[in-house]
Amino acid sequence: MPMSFEYRGMLINLPDFDRERKEYFEHAAQKKLVVQKCKGCALLRWDPGPACPWCQSLEWTWQQVSGKGTIYSYEIVTHAIQPGFRDWVPYPVALVELDEQRGKPSPDEGVRLITNVVDENFNPEKEENVGIGKRVEVVFLPVAEGVFLPQFKLSKEQPTERVWQFQNV
Amino acid sequence: MGRLTDRYCIVGVGETEYSQASGRTTRAMAVEAVKRAMDDAGLNASDVDGMMSYHGGDSTTSTTVVSDLGIRLNFYMDCSGGGSSTEALIGLAIGAIEVGMCHTVAIFRSMNGYTQVRIGGTGARARAPITEAGVMTRPYGYMSAAQNFAFSFMRHMYEFGTKPSQVAMVKVVGSKHASNNPKAFMKKRMTVEDVLNSRWIVKPVHLLDCCLETDNATCVIVTSAERARSLKQRPVHILGVAGRVCKPRIEVHYQFGPITRVAGYHAKDIVFPMAGVTHEDIDVTSCYDAFTWTTLLQLEDYGWCKKGEGGDYVSSGIIALGGKRPNNTSGSHLCEAYTHGMNMVIENVRQLRGTVDDYCPNWQKGQHTYDYSEGHCRQVKDAEIAMSMGWGTPALGSALIMRR
Repeated sequence: MPMSFEYRGMLINLPDFDRERKEYFEHAAQKKLVVQKCKGCALLRWDPGPACPWCQSLEWTWQQVSGKGTIYSYEIVTHAIQPGFRDWVPYPVALVELDEQRGKPSPDEGVRLITNVVDENFNPEKEENVGIGKRVEVVFLPVAEGVFLPQFKLSKEQPTERVWQFQNV
Repeated sequence: MGRLTDRYCIVGVGETEYSQASGRTTRAMAVEAVKRAMDDAGLNASDVDGMMSYHGGDSTTSTTVVSDLGIRLNFYMDCSGGGSSTEALIGLAIGAIEVGMCHTVAIFRSMNGYTQVRIGGTGARARAPITEAGVMTRPYGYMSAAQNFAFSFMRHMYEFGTKPSQVAMVKVVGSKHASNNPKAFMKKRMTVEDVLNSRWIVKPVHLLDCCLETDNATCVIVTSAERARSLKQRPVHILGVAGRVCKPRIEVHYQFGPITRVAGYHAKDIVFPMAGVTHEDIDVTSCYDAFTWTTLLQLEDYGWCKKGEGGDYVSSGIIALGGKRPNNTSGSHLCEAYTHGMNMVIENVRQLRGTVDDYCPNWQKGQHTYDYSEGHCRQVKDAEIAMSMGWGTPALGSALIMRR
């Protein structure tokens, strides 16, 4: 069955033929964060797609990941472009690097996901709490009947590297 | 010099008014820009036999424009694309002429970027149902160019200590140049404080870090050097071109570090050797300013300064009129108009002709005062070689080197 749901007034469509992305969301519905694992070279990748960018293999399988990671970069949206986000500003968008494959296959690479940083109530995390280097973990936001959107919240783990926050100077 | 030397030229440039209220179709604007470029070159309808255009959202087709202007084509190509397309299409036009498909190509971009398809992303585009790749990003309120690019600059500040007050200098310098450009939509001179105190769009991006959203059409005409010699303007010769050069994994380029590196890192290795010139040979540049820091990142990766030193470089005075190598002398996208790159190339063509349309009384005769104070000159003295650096995304760039 195709997945189709509304979130913040936006219609999101996942037809059956969009196999990789639909299966990603089917796993999220079971509160599992998954990424693709190449059957050729065993590297993990994001976002969902049909081929391995390192070995070009078309064979892959889903791999559940820990959902733990570090904020690699971030931004605070203050002027919403999409109408459904006007009542949600200011909200952080983060590039989260998962723990599973940091610095592989080359030192500057890793598996990085785009996400919001939310608090315990799935509201936008406060700007003063967000920064590069902060530890985060996945949570699943219920958005419709049987549909969950992977999000990340700040972890209780201490940062293992330099924490940096934007300053307007 | 390189293998393109003295073989192909830009012979005509043209544009409509730069405004936020064109009150016209993209068709009517495109026809005007092409006609103005033909008049600039001294070309009749029967002298143009090739046309190319690029579009993202709104535009019009080559076939519409040539039907309106009575041009019979031997070649045309309309393709999707935004920034970085101008230089790429100039390269393709050379290829089409080289193999004999046609001899003179008009390249245009027409957009109601404020009143029809807003470049900032607001309006109809933000309300469309979400499918395909957008499913992984738009539910997170991540969609516009500012939102898509900001990770790169945030990481640059983290890695190199670059400050918003440094990158604001790109706007300050652009506004200085625009104040001497009668065509510029935003002519007011700005300060660093103006930029830092302007409202937030997406931190770290202030409103005045962002380019304008405007309605306009622009056109450049490419032909052989042989034909160029009999035309109206002093020919501007194309020395080197790099078209739509990409970083690895372009659509998810933030997977492949360093994410502070942009596509110019790769484009420079094509365009400089092709042109047979070095950085020191170049007198004037234009560097795509979708945002202040897109210019900064590109200037670093094209090698004008060391990686990470862009903040100091753009603050040094080098890129301002009167400096060693002025950049974006029209005010470009931040202050003149947003054209998806073509106004940067048009400005450099006029710089190399020596007939920049500033406030000098006899600019049309190439007589300039070189007084760069507000409301006066913006001609670079004795400009012989110019370079344009086009940007599509952090992962996509093009470049063009020209000489007079």
